[in-house]
Amino acid sequence: MTVFVCGQEVEDIWCGIYDAWMSRLGHKNVRLEPRGKDREFFCEYREVVTEAWKAEKVAESIRRKLSEELYEVAYRAALSEDCGRADKIYRFLIYAFSLGTGVMDQLQIPAVYEVFCMTRYLSREYTHIIEFARFSQMEEGVLLGKIKPNNDLLSLVALHFADRLSGENWILYDCGRKKAVVHQAGQGWAIVHADSSQWQERLNKKTDEETYEGLWKTFHKAIAIVQRTNIKCQQNMLPLRFRPYMTEFN
Amino acid sequence: MLIQEEMGIQEKLRILSDAAKYDVSCSSSGIARKGKQGTIGNTLAAGICHSFAADGRCISLLKILFTNQCIYDCRYCVNRCSNDVVRTAFTPAEVCTLTIEFYRRNYIEGLFLSSGILYSPDYTMEQIYETLYRLRNEYHFNGYIHVKAIPGASPELIERMGFLTDRMSVNLELPTAEGLKRLAPGKSREKILAPMRQVQRGIAAQNLKALGESRPGGGRLQKRLEDPGRRLADSPNPWWDFKHGSLQTRKGGLPGLERRAGDMKKNPAKGREIGMADTIAHPGRNVWAALQPMNQRLFVPAGQSTQMIVGATPESDYHMIRVAEALYQNYDLKRVFYSAFVRVNDDGLLPVLPGGPPLLREHRLYQADWLLRFYGFGAEELLSEERPNFNILLDPKCDWALRHLERFPVEVNRADYAALLRVPGLGVKSARRIVAARRGGALDFPDLKKMGVVLKRAMYFLTCSGRTMVPFRLDEDFITSQLVSVEHKKAWDIENHGSYRQLSLFDDYQIAGAPVSREDMASAVTGLM
Repeated sequence: MTVFVCGQEVEDIWCGIYDAWMSRLGHKNVRLEPRGKDREFFCEYREVVTEAWKAEKVAESIRRKLSEELYEVAYRAALSEDCGRADKIYRFLIYAFSLGTGVMDQLQIPAVYEVFCMTRYLSREYTHIIEFARFSQMEEGVLLGKIKPNNDLLSLVALHFADRLSGENWILYDCGRKKAVVHQAGQGWAIVHADSSQWQERLNKKTDEETYEGLWKTFHKAIAIVQRTNIKCQQNMLPLRFRPYMTEFN
Repeated sequence: MLIQEEMGIQEKLRILSDAAKYDVSCSSSGIARKGKQGTIGNTLAAGICHSFAADGRCISLLKILFTNQCIYDCRYCVNRCSNDVVRTAFTPAEVCTLTIEFYRRNYIEGLFLSSGILYSPDYTMEQIYETLYRLRNEYHFNGYIHVKAIPGASPELIERMGFLTDRMSVNLELPTAEGLKRLAPGKSREKILAPMRQVQRGIAAQNLKALGESRPGGGRLQKRLEDPGRRLADSPNPWWDFKHGSLQTRKGGLPGLERRAGDMKKNPAKGREIGMADTIAHPGRNVWAALQPMNQRLFVPAGQSTQMIVGATPESDYHMIRVAEALYQNYDLKRVFYSAFVRVNDDGLLPVLPGGPPLLREHRLYQADWLLRFYGFGAEELLSEERPNFNILLDPKCDWALRHLERFPVEVNRADYAALLRVPGLGVKSARRIVAARRGGALDFPDLKKMGVVLKRAMYFLTCSGRTMVPFRLDEDFITSQLVSVEHKKAWDIENHGSYRQLSLFDDYQIAGAPVSREDMASAVTGLM
């Protein structure tokens, strides 16, 4: 068994898949693993070097030989929190290239099912994040939102808000990965690493939001029908892990 | 009536959202609209729920009344004119600012504006219209708006409003005309249905136009018909032969279109503005001209909805779903909402509900509603005059399946989509996945689990390659007992979400735990009862 050790970003995963596939050792004899995992005996370990052209080639062949939809599936799976995702996507692509574009229907195939589960979880969390993300206004009218998703879906969420709040300056900060989307009114957006002390200082600045936060809390309380109180249902629909970042539960 | 002029916005919001909360509809679905430069907001077809209140209901829209002053005296309503509550009203600017500021912070998906009737329906409607107009044109709000059409308002106003809003709704409130007369003396069935019909015709005329403009295969209407989950009845299907009555009206190609075309024939003189024009105040005016200054906005693009109160009047479940079915078929409603009656007024004509709002009944009605809309069931199949209410222990689909065991078990690898949809434990998604997946090879029970099939229910109604999951008797009593134990806890949780419960003479949910008597043991051994 030859193990290809690659990074966890989307590009790293594409490069890992490229190296493993092009090694010509046979799909059964190769495996992809993230860095930092315990090593096993009787395995040869090869370090994957991330290079733009390899990633480009993998992405291009999925798009061209399969379809845009399947590329999106693979891309979303690569954003998943699952640490074995690189290998799972690799196994999935083997089937995809052999069965063609209808492969996502074949849930009875374990490799397809794994990817299906990852993307389903990602989609569900994505929905939750665009529902429950909250912005508050900083000075100069900049909106700041903080989220902490399990999957790395900042780029997907950014697309949603860029369409919706195209005329606003806003920042959406992923507390877990210390990354942020910065959107400039009418200009588009970019993802930046926000772990510097300068960023932290800026993110922790107090926002002056008493008026609208107060109004929102008032509304949130008044809209509930007391005779129907059902905390368990509320918790099912709005899991506790999102609440530290939500205005109405602070 | 106490009207406070000088009231803070916070207090106003508290009063007017508290007064609006009995309206169930909070969905922001039905229309996908991309964002546009220079405006704020977009909408998603599936809608977005932004929060959940302590009662577990979603908060999607800023649901408020424009004013809680009202000239009517509906018995069930908290805002009726004979109630002594603090009255107040928003100004259009206040509503707009609240909506925009909440929207920017991603608190809400849009605005749900309803209102008590101040002075007259037209006056109230004008206020709402002004608010919407400013929100769309001055504040450039491109998000979701749901507005109530006030029964009795002039058709002209309703039409103009339709071009500003995404969804419009008129609440039926009570399923029968008698109930309405008794509890809402100011309203009448005709007044409620008139705006509903007007909106329906407006949408239909628009769809016809869209269909005519695009290529034969395009258009929103066409898309709707192509979606297998939506209107099953549109495809010729052997399952429909079992049905009778209501079904015939749905059969044959494009039922919606045919009906609309029928409307058209009645008004040949009016040409293409049909449908809408015969109800608006200015029959000579071209409806489509109104589209131009409105920036090509569509007329009520997300369709209309309504709501009915459950348990305020003695109507049975059968009545309720018959009415709902008629509304879906004759008025093209997107949704009918059901609202368990909450006794907010101490009125002799209202029922006393010691167990709290009839939540389980509401739940069953919603289940049946889904069966009507997505599963191809007819109201007649679920209930009848003889059996007018839903089983409290079983959901409507299980209940139906148990009464039709002759159609089961269904073979997963062969049955058509419609037959799969009728299996308890299978939904639209899992049925579609099965149909797609089995082309690649035979499916077995573990595969079904992966596709989201709820096997604890479905196992009694399915075979995979001719085998059931475990050997069992295909016998109504046996399966019922198995299903009831699964369903039991759920029904109990819905009715009694607290930790305590009221003592009752008939607590049938404890039957399973009843002590075993000597006689029981003897009969178990001897087989004699």
